[in-house]
Amino acid sequence: MTDASAVDRNESDGASGRRPDRLRTWNRKLHYYLGLYFLLFLWLFSVSGLLLNHSKWAMGQFWNDRKETVAERSIRAPNAPDDAGIAAELMRQLAIVGEVSDLRRDSTGKFDFQVVKPGHVFRVAAEPAAGRASVTEIELNAWGVMDALHKFTGVRMDRPNEQRDWLLTRLWSLAMDALALGLVILVASGLYLWWRLRQKRIGGLVAIALGVAGCGFFIYGFGLLR
Amino acid sequence: MKSPYRVIRDLHLYAGLFVSPFVVVYAISAIVLNHAYLPWGGDGGTVETRTVAVRIPDDTNSLAVAAQIRDQLGIRGEIGFVSRNRRSQRVNFPVETPGVTTNVRVDLRSGSAEIERTETGVWDGLVYLHTMPGPHNVAIRGNWLATGVWGWVADASVYLLLFVSATGIYLWAVLRAERKAGLLFLGAGAATFGLLIIGIVA
Repeated sequence: MTDASAVDRNESDGASGRRPDRLRTWNRKLHYYLGLYFLLFLWLFSVSGLLLNHSKWAMGQFWNDRKETVAERSIRAPNAPDDAGIAAELMRQLAIVGEVSDLRRDSTGKFDFQVVKPGHVFRVAAEPAAGRASVTEIELNAWGVMDALHKFTGVRMDRPNEQRDWLLTRLWSLAMDALALGLVILVASGLYLWWRLRQKRIGGLVAIALGVAGCGFFIYGFGLLR
Repeated sequence: MKSPYRVIRDLHLYAGLFVSPFVVVYAISAIVLNHAYLPWGGDGGTVETRTVAVRIPDDTNSLAVAAQIRDQLGIRGEIGFVSRNRRSQRVNFPVETPGVTTNVRVDLRSGSAEIERTETGVWDGLVYLHTMPGPHNVAIRGNWLATGVWGWVADASVYLLLFVSATGIYLWAVLRAERKAGLLFLGAGAATFGLLIIGIVA
């Protein structure tokens, strides 16, 4: 087997052969370790990204394969000051966990809301005064879970007042930010690693120029930078 | 002849460099989407409204009608969805490009179209690119050449990223000195990932 370290050393810009180059060493470690740490997250978002873009694929048909059940449940009238509190109290009674959204109350006192966690959607139609609630549960397969994880932020662009109310949504959202930031750092550290390989500079410049041109073509061509 | 290590390292290097601008675009727009927030006033749109006469196409297909009216109006972009009300004889549809949304409301009886153009800004444009082609309006998606091509580019970015990650694993695995520490990071990442998934899904 080739000594990989020796190959890299031979093709680097030479300075490191004579004196320690901590920046290069730590940058290389950062590149390896970050990439390995985020590997499964990256694969999940890559595959689910493909899934989102190809809902006609067989695996993208998860909504058609959903299992839907409706159950009538007894509830106690919640004692909470606001809609969010009422929903939280009803979820506790109904043993439902997840991210709450779409709270609606009508003039007759009916109170509807939705609870989502990847792979499950619960639609609760409660009549607190009558002491009952209808709970529709939609269960999705593994592809549906992946699809939902890709988009599971707890907030939506068109609903600026929405907030994450489930701890795991917050943690997942944090993981998404960390992955995004990690990818930017991977790109930056990769650029540095490449630049130190003097023999690869021209080929690398061509590759990155093609990437920038390709990406820029769409950003400029779409009118974003005009 | 080049060793497998050199070949794979070069492929990793060049594929990674090529895909890096796309990765940065996806990463930045992911943060914007994750917080549902357009920074630096990106959520304010410039709106222009005008009404013009149009020739009403003789077609029963709603997308075809919308596409012909789009072409008459000289608007470029992807038709989002078409709402056609046969009773009120109205056709409404948005035409979208990253950063610009044009809502077209056509009165088929009078042959007039009200056009409302909103500039939504660079951040919204990046979000648009991130979410295109996406799972919605699949039947009519790609009705503008540029978004159709972007769909291919988005796929290619994913395949390249998967390739870069697979070759990255090989490049790490052949470095004996990094195996133990690498395994620790891989394990820590897998544990974080697994615990989060179990917590969320179970």
